[in-house]
Amino acid sequence: MSAPRSDRRAILALVLLLAIATLAAWHWGRPSAPVRAAAQSHPMSHHRPPTLGSETFQYAYPQNRLAADQVYNPVPPQPSEKSVHEYELAVQDVEHEVAPGIRVPSWTFNGTVPGPVIRGREGDLMRIKLVNHGSVPHTIHFHGIHPAEMDGVFEMVPPGGSFTYEFVARPFGVFPYHCHSMPASQHIHNGLYGMMIIDPKEGRPPMKELAMVMSAFDLDRDGEADFYAWNGKAFQYADHPIELQKGEPVRMYVVNVFEEMMAPHIHGNMFNLIRSGTALKPTELTDVVSLGIAERGILEFRYDLPGPYMFQCHFSEHMELGLMGWFVVSDRQKLKASASSPPTPTKTPAHFHGAGK
Amino acid sequence: MKSRLLVWLSFLAPLVLLGALLVVFYRSSGGLRFEAPAPVEQVAFERVVFLPDEIVAHVRNVGPKEVTLSQVQVGWLNRASWEFTVEPSPTIPRLATARVRIPYPWTEGEPYEIVLFTAAGLPFSHKIEVATATPLFSAQSFWMFSMLGVYVGVIPVFLGILWLPFLRNLGERSYGFLISLTIGLLVFLGVDALHDGFEQAGELPGPFQGVALILVGLSISLLGLFTLTRWLERRRTGLEQQGSSSALLLAYLVAFGIGVHNLGEGLAIGGAYALGEIATGALLIVGFMIHNLTEGVAVVAPIVRSRLGKGEGTVSWLNLLWLGLLAGLPTIFGTSLGAFAPSPVLAVLFLAIGAGAVFQVVIEILSQMKRGGPPGAPALLTPANLAGFLAGLAVMYVTGLFLAV
Repeated sequence: MSAPRSDRRAILALVLLLAIATLAAWHWGRPSAPVRAAAQSHPMSHHRPPTLGSETFQYAYPQNRLAADQVYNPVPPQPSEKSVHEYELAVQDVEHEVAPGIRVPSWTFNGTVPGPVIRGREGDLMRIKLVNHGSVPHTIHFHGIHPAEMDGVFEMVPPGGSFTYEFVARPFGVFPYHCHSMPASQHIHNGLYGMMIIDPKEGRPPMKELAMVMSAFDLDRDGEADFYAWNGKAFQYADHPIELQKGEPVRMYVVNVFEEMMAPHIHGNMFNLIRSGTALKPTELTDVVSLGIAERGILEFRYDLPGPYMFQCHFSEHMELGLMGWFVVSDRQKLKASASSPPTPTKTPAHFHGAGK
Repeated sequence: MKSRLLVWLSFLAPLVLLGALLVVFYRSSGGLRFEAPAPVEQVAFERVVFLPDEIVAHVRNVGPKEVTLSQVQVGWLNRASWEFTVEPSPTIPRLATARVRIPYPWTEGEPYEIVLFTAAGLPFSHKIEVATATPLFSAQSFWMFSMLGVYVGVIPVFLGILWLPFLRNLGERSYGFLISLTIGLLVFLGVDALHDGFEQAGELPGPFQGVALILVGLSISLLGLFTLTRWLERRRTGLEQQGSSSALLLAYLVAFGIGVHNLGEGLAIGGAYALGEIATGALLIVGFMIHNLTEGVAVVAPIVRSRLGKGEGTVSWLNLLWLGLLAGLPTIFGTSLGAFAPSPVLAVLFLAIGAGAVFQVVIEILSQMKRGGPPGAPALLTPANLAGFLAGLAVMYVTGLFLAV
């Protein structure tokens, strides 16, 4: 029995269609290179809370779990002898790691949150060029005394554009700088902020210097910060402790850029406080100071006893969500002495249970 | 031959073409490049277990793509970042589950919040009103949850059945009242089960399609029981005396419907205990006992008119035992399963099946009442029947007041 002509034609058409479909699937079905690469590069998500390794829910003995290039360098640039201080700040949209394993789209000055520390000297000329590689208009608004047209409020620098801010640095002190485009809350929250240090003409006594910007990140935009941080990344100085020497004088510049009160506090010590950094001599000896939004200060201290000391925000919530870190104070004299004598195994103090594993 | 081949080809062609299209689309996006403006991630909490010095969150990735969990915070008054491990992997494929283990010195009776952050920075949180140690599976805890089932399911049903001698002495009108009361009880139970089902369906993650699941459950029991009843009736016709056997069949149907309902209810109770959502209280158990007492009445109502004992057309005492077990026993499975392997999906499904079963039983009773009544008379809508129906609703409502869930 032979099938009608129309049937045969239909079969032929179907077979042809199937053949084409198979070919198409074979040809276009091969995964393209970027897709494959994306599938293979899973983000590593090692959690490094300060409690990890303690086995007792308490803080673990400080461990160096991050390399120096994985943390924001807390050491500000040295005071310069030039009379014109030039900086270039390029706005870059990058994925910033706010906490270990969590990268969120951010707007940054020079790719970091906070932006770089800008440093000048009272009476010198500050020349700061803003280059906008971002996707929306930005500005830089510096705190301190400067002309209205250098205030970073009117001149919007469009994507691809640039603008150079010039002003005479005054007075000396510690200042925040940040983008002032509308909506300013979004521009600042997204990472466009940093610290400016203006040294007094006569300079300050040399010390080991640290620059610390206190801020927070509200990842789901519900009005409550999800992570708090020294210098933009939760717990980074817990995972990469800051090394200090016994007896070494330390000057820590601190700025709070977040819209909550912050209370920087150092453990096992007191500090001399220079509010806003606008005086040469400290006015107060304390171990905690409350800084409202955009408030700042200089904290000067010296550790006489070696060991690990926490530095934190005294608001427990801020501390537990990332605003904490360690100073590890070592005794250089003792190290030198022990280097010449036969090495003795370094023992962990008994009260640091679980350390050294 | 050839036209047969054509038929098969035309059946296969769309499937093969679809398959080819899927392969192309899935692996090379078929030329479409949809970039989501924001990462679309969804993580659902299925269960939170409180062990000594450890909190374990059972989560499911219900988003369209795989997610990676990068940070965990535990909230007490405020949230705090905490150490954690994820089994089997922090990267969870779509619809897969993972256990997030958080070593945390939690204390009994405190409220906690668990917050999981994905690598993209999206937080997913779950609040526990009152932390209490999760019962671990052991002979002792299994016994405990079985006994819970016995208390809230089995005992009340048998207590209700014990009313049988009293019910048998009721007059004609009282009997109509009783049957209508049963209908009232069942309708209330069905609506209640549907309500619980919808409530739980609302909490199911999107991909599980809670409301559609209820439709499936309802259809299974409504249509399934209808078919089963008709089949049993056809088989029995002519073999036995019609009266008693169909009454007994109805009683079994009622018992089955209530049993499935109790399975769903047990799942919900056990699950709620396990999730720490209901405080362990004697009042709750007492409430369920009073509430479920009425179920025993409903089970025996159809056989009040049948003779008890042995021989033709009677209902044996053994039948009463089976009826009670059929209606009550599933509660035990429910509470245990709910406590040790809680599954919100199963709970919704069984609540819907239970509701459907109960409604089907109502339909059966109504059709039997219609057949039993005098020809032409509006047998269903007598004042006694109406009063009975309303009384049934009222009884369920009032005893339901004891259930402060």
